[in-house]
Amino acid sequence: MEIIELTDLALREALKLGATDVSAICAKNNENQIRFSNNSITVTKNIKSLELFLYVAKDRKRMIGVTSNPSAEGIKRFASDLIKACKVISPSPEYTPLPKGEFSYPLHGIYDKKLAEDGVKLIEFAKEAVDAGLEAGATRVSGSLMASEEEIAILTSGDARGKDKTTKILLNVRAFTDEGTSGHGLSCAARLTDFNPSEAGRVAGDYAKVSINPHPWEEGICDLVTMPTVTADVVQHIGSFSSAFTVDAGLSFLIDKVDQKVGVDEFTLRDYGVVEGGLGGRGFDDEGVPTRENIIIEKGVLKGYLHNSTTARKFGKSSTGNAGIIEPNPWNLVVDPGTMSVDDIIKEVKRGILVTNNWYTRFQNMRTGEYSTIPRDAAFLIENGKIKHPVVGLRISDSIPRQLASILGISKERRWIEWWEVSIPTLAPTMLIKDVTITKALR
Amino acid sequence: MDEDLLTSTVDLAQKLGAEYAEARLHKIKTTGCLLRNGVPEPATIGDAYGIGIRVICSGSLAFSATNDLSRENVKVILEKAVKRAKASSSLLEHRILFSEEKTISADWRAKEKKSIENVGFEDLFGMLKNIEYQIKDGRAGVAFPNRLLASTTLLEEKMYMNSDGARIRSRVPRLGFYSYITTSYQGKTVTITIPSGYSQLGESGGWEVVDRLKIYEYVQKKAENLALVVKNDQRPPKETVDVVLGPDVSGIIAHESAGHPGEADRILGREAAQAGESYLKSDDIGLKIGSEEAYVSDDPTIPHSNGFYLYDDEGVPARKRRLIEAGVIREFLHNKSTAYEFGVSSNGASRSTSYDREPIIRMANTFVEPGDYSLEELLEDIRLGVYIKSFMEWNIDDKRFNQRYVGLEAYMIEKGEIKGMVRNPILEITTPKLWSSVDARGKEVEFVAATCGKGDPMQGAPVWTGGPDMRLRAIRVGAR
Repeated sequence: MEIIELTDLALREALKLGATDVSAICAKNNENQIRFSNNSITVTKNIKSLELFLYVAKDRKRMIGVTSNPSAEGIKRFASDLIKACKVISPSPEYTPLPKGEFSYPLHGIYDKKLAEDGVKLIEFAKEAVDAGLEAGATRVSGSLMASEEEIAILTSGDARGKDKTTKILLNVRAFTDEGTSGHGLSCAARLTDFNPSEAGRVAGDYAKVSINPHPWEEGICDLVTMPTVTADVVQHIGSFSSAFTVDAGLSFLIDKVDQKVGVDEFTLRDYGVVEGGLGGRGFDDEGVPTRENIIIEKGVLKGYLHNSTTARKFGKSSTGNAGIIEPNPWNLVVDPGTMSVDDIIKEVKRGILVTNNWYTRFQNMRTGEYSTIPRDAAFLIENGKIKHPVVGLRISDSIPRQLASILGISKERRWIEWWEVSIPTLAPTMLIKDVTITKALR
Repeated sequence: MDEDLLTSTVDLAQKLGAEYAEARLHKIKTTGCLLRNGVPEPATIGDAYGIGIRVICSGSLAFSATNDLSRENVKVILEKAVKRAKASSSLLEHRILFSEEKTISADWRAKEKKSIENVGFEDLFGMLKNIEYQIKDGRAGVAFPNRLLASTTLLEEKMYMNSDGARIRSRVPRLGFYSYITTSYQGKTVTITIPSGYSQLGESGGWEVVDRLKIYEYVQKKAENLALVVKNDQRPPKETVDVVLGPDVSGIIAHESAGHPGEADRILGREAAQAGESYLKSDDIGLKIGSEEAYVSDDPTIPHSNGFYLYDDEGVPARKRRLIEAGVIREFLHNKSTAYEFGVSSNGASRSTSYDREPIIRMANTFVEPGDYSLEELLEDIRLGVYIKSFMEWNIDDKRFNQRYVGLEAYMIEKGEIKGMVRNPILEITTPKLWSSVDARGKEVEFVAATCGKGDPMQGAPVWTGGPDMRLRAIRVGAR
């Protein structure tokens, strides 16, 4: 059966069993991956899945299920299990009927047939990245390369009916020198024409090479230049903290900040269901509401939260097309471009650090946004507008609200970032942030 | 589960030229409940079932997975896996070989008294409502305006077969609880989790886990102590002091700075681009990195544990691994591939979290071994120190060398006695300095459950982290 037929079967079955609200989403995924390390392939993977997501409400009682058995019999049994479960759970005072259509969904071209083919030349692409990293001066190159296709269909009891199809290719490269330094490169695209494995490998190799003989860094306060991969990590957390569910659960530093200044004038953050050049996303959310452009922060002012229909009703707003039945989520985050080049940003720094990559961001207090994260791969001291030498052994220990209010510069150039550490696709610039606390470990 | 499907898949792989083949039917059923400020969120059911296949052809490894279990489809994905493996030679500089291991035929189950399959949503929501009733009014003048409480069940069933003749069936039920709470006092707000550090209370077993873990008593006690965190503004001392770390902290340290760097795949660089590598090198067995009091082990066979298993996903028997003994690196965590590289036998650390994930090296239950001190004895000769009982923020670099743990429930120690609370002391320290500073360990080990992230695509593996109270001498604790 086609995925739209499976959703239709699930919808009809749940309604027949007495559900008042049903959202049935069927997703078919095909992922081809190559992982490599030490210049050699370690594994090739192909993962195919067909899954049905089903939301049902009956007597204001709500259940969600995901099954990997979307056969006709499997769907009937699964719908029955969800409806039976409704009998033993409590009704929700926050129950909100699913939005009513008819809806029309944005058309987009986030699809490249070549990426959906089994024969996509991943091995050649991986080899290009490895060779470029080695040529740039690294001695070991590792990474992962994933090409994926998602075909998805939705039917709801609110008369939403949609189909969508996207592809993307994500390359994450890390290059190492014999001296133990490393550099990181990414190429993330929805189409092969926008994909550049050699550049990702070369950037990783270059960073690894110029990081040889790093200086230990002393802790203290200094200005920080975040390259797009680092900016994207901070921005994805801002996106998640702008979910109305997170706000309602008391777990966000953006609580009670709507229409208030939360950042500098130059900072604008948007979310799109689908956006030209973006990495996946969809034309509809899990309630069938069309996705759209949402401005989260405009010129430093928090404009609103991301909503599904339940949080929207509670906050007296309309859905923003970001459902998640339980939790609204961002799809594709986009930071507006600034006016500076990356070189201009570096020239602005009297004494600071440039960080090319980071990982392991954790929060001490989600209400204040206090967190720390660890730079990895290349990082450099900047003095009097010039990159002076590589540095090592530092940790960024700050708060996101303080950083948002301390941005001194945003680059014109931006890059799409999605990798192991940044799961929400984000179009991110380089940023200059004033007075960031840097700490180091006791040896 | 269709054993014939596994047999025919492994047989066909060999006919197609695979030097090694394995197939795993993997089923995971989950349920979940979420109560937000007393309001039930939609409850969830998950039902994931499919087959994961690995083949080695010409020294190249390929993995395929599907949830379409028709014979024809499984044959197609297998044929493609063999073809991909053979086509990988242009970027294959290092052939993948497996260690030879004893062939096992087994059928094992984690113990369960009250079947997880009989745990209903009324039970899971009932537990959350009881906890909500316990804590909703706050504690000690501190309000808890936001409470997000979650309970989960999981039933994992697997059937595994490989071309060496291993045939293994398994069944592991698990139950868990976690929570996020906002605490508020005189306009100040602090978010906490119970258990601390974004971890969980969890074990393998059925509904009896709720009693065994004493979940209600645990939450009650933690809520009382953690409520006081928001009231506290006492800065930690600036000078070097002695530090006692509680079980939550020694447990996360065991996991992050002894378990992860001891994963042989990281040491060989296989996870370099994502989870990272290790400060340890291949020939570091026998390296002294800590004091005589540094002991860390990983043991999948602990009954009721969250990371419990008896055979790994390569058919190798699980056993206790002594990672650090008396400050010396004793053993790495191995699968059959790294075991071959190191010329040892696999110690059964290979696990996959779902049918569509390849088995990779994972920790199970990683902990600091107990010593012979009571808490009073650990404290008695400390003139000035800090007792960091639990934490929230933590991180460690991708070589597992430079780490940081920020205290949540923490107290001053003065003249051998625990005094008032101290706010967010920071232990930011290198791995050798940390393990070299340990001079005593408590008698009692406590565990919490956690989900350990590794692999690409990401795999969140169920683990326990644990340890006793652990004393470190002459440490600097910073402040946020």
